[in-house]
Amino acid sequence: MTQDAAQQLRRLLHLIPMLADGEAHSLHEVAELTGEDADDVLKDMRSLSLRYGDPGGFVPDLEIYLEATQVSMRTNHFTRPMRLTAPELCALQLGLAMLRREQVPEEQDTADAARRRLSAALAKLPAEGPGAGPVAAPMDRVHHLDFAAPGDRAQLAALRRGVRERRKLRLTYRRADAVESTTRVICPYGLVASHGAWYVVAHCDDRNAIRIFRLDRIERSELLDARFEVPASFSLDDMVHDGKVIDVDEPATLRVRYSPRVARWIAEREHMALDADGSLTLDHPLADTAWAVRHVLQYGADAEVLEPERTRREVERRLRDIVAS
Amino acid sequence: MARAGNRKTIRTASAPGPSKLQRWLDVLAALLSHRYPIALDRLRREVPAYQRAGNEATFNRMFERDKDEMRAFGIPIETVQSGDPPEAAYQLRAADFYLPFMELAAAGGSARRPTTRRAPFTALQTLTFSPDELSLIAQAAARVRALGDPLLAADADSALRKLAFDLPVDALARDAERDERVVADQSPASRATFALLGQALLARKRVSFTYHAMGVDSVREREAEPYGLVFLGSHWYLAAAERGDDVVRNFRLNRMSNVSMNHAKMRTPDFAVPDDFRLSEHARSRQAWELGDQEVEEILVEVRAPTGAATAAAQLGEPVAGHPERRCFRVRRADTFARWLLGFAGDLVPVAPPDMVRKYRELARETLRRYEEGA
Repeated sequence: MTQDAAQQLRRLLHLIPMLADGEAHSLHEVAELTGEDADDVLKDMRSLSLRYGDPGGFVPDLEIYLEATQVSMRTNHFTRPMRLTAPELCALQLGLAMLRREQVPEEQDTADAARRRLSAALAKLPAEGPGAGPVAAPMDRVHHLDFAAPGDRAQLAALRRGVRERRKLRLTYRRADAVESTTRVICPYGLVASHGAWYVVAHCDDRNAIRIFRLDRIERSELLDARFEVPASFSLDDMVHDGKVIDVDEPATLRVRYSPRVARWIAEREHMALDADGSLTLDHPLADTAWAVRHVLQYGADAEVLEPERTRREVERRLRDIVAS
Repeated sequence: MARAGNRKTIRTASAPGPSKLQRWLDVLAALLSHRYPIALDRLRREVPAYQRAGNEATFNRMFERDKDEMRAFGIPIETVQSGDPPEAAYQLRAADFYLPFMELAAAGGSARRPTTRRAPFTALQTLTFSPDELSLIAQAAARVRALGDPLLAADADSALRKLAFDLPVDALARDAERDERVVADQSPASRATFALLGQALLARKRVSFTYHAMGVDSVREREAEPYGLVFLGSHWYLAAAERGDDVVRNFRLNRMSNVSMNHAKMRTPDFAVPDDFRLSEHARSRQAWELGDQEVEEILVEVRAPTGAATAAAQLGEPVAGHPERRCFRVRRADTFARWLLGFAGDLVPVAPPDMVRKYRELARETLRRYEEGA
């Protein structure tokens, strides 16, 4: 089956049951629901109707009504969607498997039940022909997906519950550069997985400001009964700057020069071009000097802070302490 | 919604014959409108394109191709022997094709009733989802969508749209998108690369590609047997064994180009994955110092300042009896480990063996010189 024809069949088996319910539908809403643009929906309608006078088949029972912004259909065929295909089922099961790895055991029953329920909606696989082969490997055995180490799954479960139910949490947290932990009450607005770690973005009631807490630095969390509302102006997207989760509106700039020995990895990650000598000078959003020190020192002499001066001095100070110890 | 305004019915004039898509829809409609298997001549009468097919051989070829392609799409068209004398007949049961009815269990345990049933849907079963199960499915779809593989995303979206026919999954999907965000590589690979590797994986066919190995900064052609696709952290990798090599390596998708697959004998796998290979074990997240073929060395590390960063990092090592401030790390790449430790700026330092302590301190001195010279 050509890929185009398969895609079109898939779209039409979605469209027909949606449109053939006796109601008129907004063309743009239909396009949104099917993940297509309005022109493609119209093309699909046209594909259905082009029969050139051939008698019989599916079309004689078909009526399509197009208005300026609305569309409706009458037909006796395909008025329910097709069952899930094997790739559709596998895609959801891969997602469920990812979530399951982050769950505490008592939650995993729900994931298992959801997997079973979805499997019951799978189309009966053809007993013969290409649909029965040549699949040599089930799709969920050839994929492995991990966004970030779940860390303490009980903490993650509590945070997810707090986010979903809009309930406050009391956290015991140790900042990256602090040797003592502190306890605070937060309103968890959302979760972000970035560069292998989970973060909760929250309003910190004690600081009366938005703060970001990394999951593996949370020592204890307690779900409270107190509720909160997320401000309408809040968006998780605003907390991500150049792929990093940062809780300041206007971060300062950290300028680092990476030597040719390590620059190609950084250039690939940041989608940048190397300088003529193979090195790379890059500006990072900077909210936290301690982060900057850790970031450059992991490259040893192959990364050097150029700006700001206070960060450069802090790197030097820490290195002198190590050498002197 | 009421119908109003300038309504027009689409009807078009004479032109070439119906498209393949229309032929498939006609075949499906014909098969689904019968509760019993239908013979080929009956099917030919009910599908206009088959009537126009000309001679018997052309029609037979056309039908065989259509049948194979629809089965490849996942449509379970059955072949049965029917009649006297027996001849091949074809059947597509409504219950095997149409989505079961789905309902949401109410909080108290009873379920919202699904839509009224009528033929041909009377034989469809009903699946009852709990609100938690449905919420998890919406989260699963959001998670898959965030991976950056356009094919997986399209399949997850398509599945969710089907569930949305009976279930309030749209709102749950919006909640899932609103509450969690994943920062992934924004340009992992082209749709064509994902499609081709996915096909090669399922059919166990060899792939060839040009690969940029970052460690040695070289670009060369590779031929490999693909074992699996792995998403780790923010990136997609192909786990594959190069021809003539037993070692399974990870190839990052965005470092691959000119990807092609061996199309010869597509129904015959080119290779077999060893029985003891486990993709999830192979893909287990490892730190950079754990990779490679060097001997494992045990290194003792001390937490000098229990900051949040140092305390979390120390958890990657094993406890040391009698020394709660120390952890033992099993390391294959000492240089990489020394750099990782230096990233904690003295809060986490090696204390044994002496070679590792010396290496770490030399790295600190070399880095300090860089700053002193720069000043």
